[in-house]
Amino acid sequence: MSVSLEWKKVKRTGFLPAFFGGGTLAAIVPIINMAVRPERYLNQQGSPVQILLDANWQMMAMLNVLLIVAGTCLLYHTEYADNAMQKLKSLPVRESSVFLGKAVLTILMSFFVLVIEAVAVAFCTFHWFGIEKGFFSELCRCFGYSLLLMLPCVILSLLISEACKNMWVSLGIGVVCVFTATMLPTTNFVLSLFPFAMPFQVFAGADVAKSMHYIYGAIAELAVCSLAQLLFVKVRRGFE
Amino acid sequence: MNVIETKNLTKSYAGFTAVSGINLHIPKGSVYGFLGPNGAGKSTTMKMFLGLSKPTDGSFTVDGKMYPENRVQILKEIGSFIEAPAFYGNLSGEENLEIIRRILGLPKSSVAEALEIVGLTQFKKRLAKKYSLGMKQRLGLAGALIGKPPILILDEPTNGLDPVGIHEIRTLIRSLPEKFNCTVLVSSHLLSEIELMADIIGILNHGHLLFEGTPGQLKFAAASKGCPTDNLEDIFLALIDADNRQRGTV
Repeated sequence: MSVSLEWKKVKRTGFLPAFFGGGTLAAIVPIINMAVRPERYLNQQGSPVQILLDANWQMMAMLNVLLIVAGTCLLYHTEYADNAMQKLKSLPVRESSVFLGKAVLTILMSFFVLVIEAVAVAFCTFHWFGIEKGFFSELCRCFGYSLLLMLPCVILSLLISEACKNMWVSLGIGVVCVFTATMLPTTNFVLSLFPFAMPFQVFAGADVAKSMHYIYGAIAELAVCSLAQLLFVKVRRGFE
Repeated sequence: MNVIETKNLTKSYAGFTAVSGINLHIPKGSVYGFLGPNGAGKSTTMKMFLGLSKPTDGSFTVDGKMYPENRVQILKEIGSFIEAPAFYGNLSGEENLEIIRRILGLPKSSVAEALEIVGLTQFKKRLAKKYSLGMKQRLGLAGALIGKPPILILDEPTNGLDPVGIHEIRTLIRSLPEKFNCTVLVSSHLLSEIELMADIIGILNHGHLLFEGTPGQLKFAAASKGCPTDNLEDIFLALIDADNRQRGTV
């Protein structure tokens, strides 16, 4: 029920068009890249998914993370803008369940965005490389991995938005985090564990053991961020 | 039987005490008028009842339930309107109430009933951000009244309303205990309003409860202190003035 309520609350906020538009923009990146310079990629070694993601994923991931930051800011802005949060707090509902509802909604929208991007990658493969056996399972694995690595970013971004009543502050912090993440080398394991940097990792062609480390890292970060949210609610209540 | 009872309820901020050890007794089925000048601690007290503000000291019970152990159970019984209207500006009046209805698990018809009670039925499809101040106030009241909760906490509910609106809301509040068998805690700094609505009056100044009782008892108490007893306004001003002098704040 919590997710459907959150869905109702984002009516007329531009939340859905933002994710649809952002997802489409990110999906156009590999198509344009292939359309403009196909010769650069067609002669490369490796699977089409690996070639396409190696060439485009950094840009696509940056758009995805920016979209998550903007989306989460929007979700909490609707709560704070006209003081709806105060009314919500005086109703028999836990703040953590509101947070969870918003988290699930953002994850669903991120999944929707990744589906659009996966369709674009499938189109590029079909048009320029040709679809071979095992293509779709590889595509699902790659985008499933990307979704998993996005989760800590979603939760942390929501936590920042919940903490800042002024949307511009949370948006500013989010944008700074995104640009910090783009400056971190993706090859350095410890630095790329930064939640906003994790979505930049690519599964295709990567070492399985290393990918598993990132998965464990993502799960650990999810647990830490969720605990931080519970703690934050308790601490904030004490100061009100 | 008291629906709300407080025991030395206190709220302090850094270097400032907003509510200082008050003992309120709000009887079931009454309209309790909470009076006090701006900054007396009325809203802070009401916020504590709703769990929006954590008491520094003391305790309170709502319908026999202790806070904070039974916070969610307490909130299920209270309809509230605190300070300013709180709503989702991107949703219509009806959609705003629909959100509250779903959280409270009420029947669908409760939205239309609440809109009807506050006279917003014809504007239910309009976005809440496009409402006038008075309409936003009515929407806030509808949000408090939806589902006819057994306890209503209303903080200055007639702010921003025109005289006709004030009269309507006042009549509505006055009729609530009889109509819906509920208890109302209503705050205001408009003395005439409280005089016309309340069965019991609590007067707060600088976080201290100066008086609690019926309007008749208030007149008697004022007369015994040598204060004017012609109307509530004179009594109130005399009590506040005497308290301020005693605290050396005048």
